[in-house]
Amino acid sequence: MKILITGAGGFLGKQIVRSLLRQGQTELLRLHFRSQAPEGFIESLQQEFPQARIEPVGANLLARGSFDAIFDGIDTVIHAAAGMRGAAADMFANTVIGSRNVFEACGRAGVRRIVLISSFAVFKTEQMKPGDVLDETIGMEPVGVERGPYGYAKTRQEYLLHEFRKQHGFETVVLRPGVIYGPGGGALSPRVGLKITNFVVSLGGKVLLPLTYVDNCADAIARATTHAPGGSVFPVVDDEVPTCKAYLQGYLKHVQKLRVLTVPAWAFRWGAAWLVRYHERSKGQLPAVFTPYIVRSMYTPIRYSNDALKRIGWTQRVSTEEGLQRTFQWLKGRLDKA
Amino acid sequence: MLRIGIIGCGKIADGHVEQIRAIGRGEVVAVCDREPLMAEQLAVRMNVPARYEDAAEMLRRERLDVVHIATPPDSHLFLAKMCFEAGCHVFMEKPFALTAPQARDILALAEAAGRKVGVNYLYNFETPGLELEDLVQRKALGEIVHLDTHYGYNLSGDYGLAVMTDPGHWVHRLPGKLFHNVLDHVLAKVVPFIEDDPEVQVLAFRRREPTGVALVDGMPDELRFMLRSGKITVCGNVSAHGRPVPHALRVVGTRDSVELDYTARTLVRSSAWSAPSSVGRVLIAWTQTRRLWANARRNVGRFRRHEFHYFQCMRVLLDRFYDAVEGRGPDPVPREQILRVCQIIDRIVDGVNASNPATPQEAA
Repeated sequence: MKILITGAGGFLGKQIVRSLLRQGQTELLRLHFRSQAPEGFIESLQQEFPQARIEPVGANLLARGSFDAIFDGIDTVIHAAAGMRGAAADMFANTVIGSRNVFEACGRAGVRRIVLISSFAVFKTEQMKPGDVLDETIGMEPVGVERGPYGYAKTRQEYLLHEFRKQHGFETVVLRPGVIYGPGGGALSPRVGLKITNFVVSLGGKVLLPLTYVDNCADAIARATTHAPGGSVFPVVDDEVPTCKAYLQGYLKHVQKLRVLTVPAWAFRWGAAWLVRYHERSKGQLPAVFTPYIVRSMYTPIRYSNDALKRIGWTQRVSTEEGLQRTFQWLKGRLDKA
Repeated sequence: MLRIGIIGCGKIADGHVEQIRAIGRGEVVAVCDREPLMAEQLAVRMNVPARYEDAAEMLRRERLDVVHIATPPDSHLFLAKMCFEAGCHVFMEKPFALTAPQARDILALAEAAGRKVGVNYLYNFETPGLELEDLVQRKALGEIVHLDTHYGYNLSGDYGLAVMTDPGHWVHRLPGKLFHNVLDHVLAKVVPFIEDDPEVQVLAFRRREPTGVALVDGMPDELRFMLRSGKITVCGNVSAHGRPVPHALRVVGTRDSVELDYTARTLVRSSAWSAPSSVGRVLIAWTQTRRLWANARRNVGRFRRHEFHYFQCMRVLLDRFYDAVEGRGPDPVPREQILRVCQIIDRIVDGVNASNPATPQEAA
């Protein structure tokens, strides 16, 4: 299997490369970077996996039709590049337009299989009740606008893949990771809370935090790339995930002391409804970042299943305890340097 | 209600749609982008009824009164001409045009068509900018002697990263690159105080480390310039490295001086050393504190009245532009000021290229 990974220099992309090599990928592995590979990355891979056939390539995925050559001789594409920040239009462009350009080029190059790294944000979870289980059978958001700019972009990206699959007959596999964490990643997911100066507003409470350690998530992607049947979808989440409250307590203990303002679930729901009203009344003076729809979608105490991943042979390599320890240690180190 | 269309569905288009709706004098009936997915995302997110990838088709079908053009500046002349021919007024995103001659053409086309053309020099309509206008009209500062204009940008931010990592970004097509995209904001505040054809001196250089990419490394990121127009001088500082990112103006008059902070939305008049000896010097800081406190109270009042939106200044500007469109008021930014900004930008860009001889060599 000759594989190309887009966004191979990103937080997750780098680990996908390692997982594929660890899994025994010895055929061509072409790595796409926006401009160039992170310093020392290629060298460290060659040292660690001397048998690997690695080819770094640079391409601007927004430049439609300009990067067909990177797909020459490739049969499988893992599309991990996406916009993670910025204004809504920028996030959309970097996620959806970049994907459209990639899928088009895949069609021209005769790529057989596309593995898309999507997100939990595309699952339509608003209607789920406490205790329900989120698994691969849960449907997608119809549009995604109600889930905010990131959710909208990722939802549109998946629908775009379906359109191209019909057109080109791609074999597609979609992985929807929960909160990816690890050294190099973010500190506090909005599911846990919002950090404002020396305060943290705790939002998630006893709701389970759908964590996936970056190495485990990358293993799942590597495994699905080589073993999942076409058309399959996988939520990606680790086995033993903590509650949002437990994660926050670990963060406060090991990384940074902050004052905590805990918002009870009923107050959060009321606050979100108030914020939407205020947003309308004030003509947008405060953005409606939390709406009742988002609160129901992200903060209902549901459970998560990774059985579909286990059925294709994935196992959690790094325990959640170990993953949290490594992450907190790295976050603490970064904070001390700053 | 005015029927309004938007051409160019990038991130600033959100601000236009929100402020048009906040004003309530027009309805955004259509959006257009030659990238259909971008038109789709704006129409879907903002619930706009129609979307197009062809501006001519939008103009033909939608019978628009006003078109907001929010595309890169190399398309402004072409699109403005099309809009005027369709009988529309045009509100232009900055930079107004790629060059001063193109700006002159756009203004002439508007004149010939009998249509209004505005430009998003929004910071002149921030509260401190409006207060300054009032002080100057009342001659409270005396004669203006000098202005210091400071503007910063963060190359590590989303916009900076996009420009630095994408050689195809439209900013690279501007004659003045990074500076060209912000100089409107720097100059629009000072052109009301100076005449055409000021003397211009420029210094520009790259402070960041090289990346090895010639196109990117060829862009200077620090700019200083000086203008002299008769008895008035202007110093400009455009910086990618100064922190906090500055956005300020100091106006020195023969009677009094003021400092405007556009981020904090404050205008503070200076305090003279009026009481005797060292006691007098102690009082100065207290006087300044009192004045800053008054700014803080006014800002809280504005917040309570819902007049503190990030784009409140655009809201004020657009409201005045629509007044002009409906014949109820003057152009919020006079045409001669738009042209003066563009002319000075051209002169500064020439100076940047002259003071930065490494640029063509590195780019080659």
